[in-house]
Amino acid sequence: MKVNVKKIATDGVIANNPTLKLVLGTCPTLALTTLAMNGIGMGAAVTFVLICSNVLISLLRNFIPKQVRIPAFVLIIATFVTIVRLLLDKLLPDIYESLGLYLPLIVVNCIILARAESFASKNGVVASALDGLFMGIGFTLALTLMGAVREVLGNGTIFGLKLWNFQIAFFASSAGAFFTYAVFIAMFSFISAIVSKKQKRTAYAKTLTALETNVSTIEKTTEEI
Amino acid sequence: MKNLFSNVWFRCITALLLIACVAGGLLAILNDVLYVSPAERTARAVKKIYGVEKVIEDQDIILDVDSEDSSKNTAIEYDGVGKITKIFKVDGENGDFDLLFQSTGYEGYKGGTITVWVLVSYNSGANPSIEKVILESYEKQTLMSKLGGDFYSKFELTDVTTAYQEGKHFAPTDGDNVILNPITGATKSANAGCNAVNCILKYVGEN
Repeated sequence: MKVNVKKIATDGVIANNPTLKLVLGTCPTLALTTLAMNGIGMGAAVTFVLICSNVLISLLRNFIPKQVRIPAFVLIIATFVTIVRLLLDKLLPDIYESLGLYLPLIVVNCIILARAESFASKNGVVASALDGLFMGIGFTLALTLMGAVREVLGNGTIFGLKLWNFQIAFFASSAGAFFTYAVFIAMFSFISAIVSKKQKRTAYAKTLTALETNVSTIEKTTEEI
Repeated sequence: MKNLFSNVWFRCITALLLIACVAGGLLAILNDVLYVSPAERTARAVKKIYGVEKVIEDQDIILDVDSEDSSKNTAIEYDGVGKITKIFKVDGENGDFDLLFQSTGYEGYKGGTITVWVLVSYNSGANPSIEKVILESYEKQTLMSKLGGDFYSKFELTDVTTAYQEGKHFAPTDGDNVILNPITGATKSANAGCNAVNCILKYVGEN
């Protein structure tokens, strides 16, 4: 079966962005976006789990009985989350410490379970791996952007580098997280609506041109007859 | 037998058991490969405190519960308060030195504990003072009761000898001999955090 990479990529990063469009994985999005680096760390961890769990679930989709698919998915996801924890603790202890409680909570992250249930259990290995990759990239981008905005406004730094002494403590707080998230979703929806309108107009114009061409062809043929 | 293999519940249980066994085996191997030893954790804590890597030589170990030397591997226990599990001597300039303690405070949230690293500086001509306190690990403390870096920074610059002589005892509520006033909900955890530092006050004061 041919894999439509472009569609999977657009779906994961833009059209069905897990954070800004589907509003999944809200807990780490709100809690960890105080720093841009946290967004990258969490995003990378989720992407790794998404790719690995999607691939394995896709491979085992005909072996796992439907009745126990959710417990089986959770077992597989929990295994990869534990592997990520062990890897980060050994190789990147600072990121492991900053992600803290939210790292084991990836097990119950809706994005991963949703992709396992709605995509990986119905599609081939390559398509599932790509879906995991692009969904992960979409999640990482959203978290990193939110983290960057909150870090710049709340801390006056970006990726730990001091920009200025001006700080708005509100953006570093929980309320600031909700506010920033709301602004991001609103902006995303606004831009999506404009793009969708433009696409509809283009499609309408194309249809109109095609119709006009058809009409003129019919007229020509009628004249000839 | 054929009926058993085609039974839905048999297939369900088999699938789950197989996945659990393979995952368990894989994690057991990785847990061994990616194991972080106590020595590695100590090195990380030292780097976090000093900002640079420092090697702790055998002769600088005063106490280490992970040591194979039986004369150095017994924790110093303070009933109901906490215990000191590691003490390292770190030499500085002009005969100055630091003592680096790992201590665990009791009576935290849900009876849990908090383990911290405490750096006590011995500068010539001055009483020993707490220079830094950082969190190492905690047990049974929930997210709501987890204490931030601000909490631990409040212990810093305490003159240990004077504090011991005055009978100072860190506690998480307002009152006499108290310097901390943590936010509500973290009080029980703060109790364990304070107890971890109180162990150091007692040890340094008594020795």
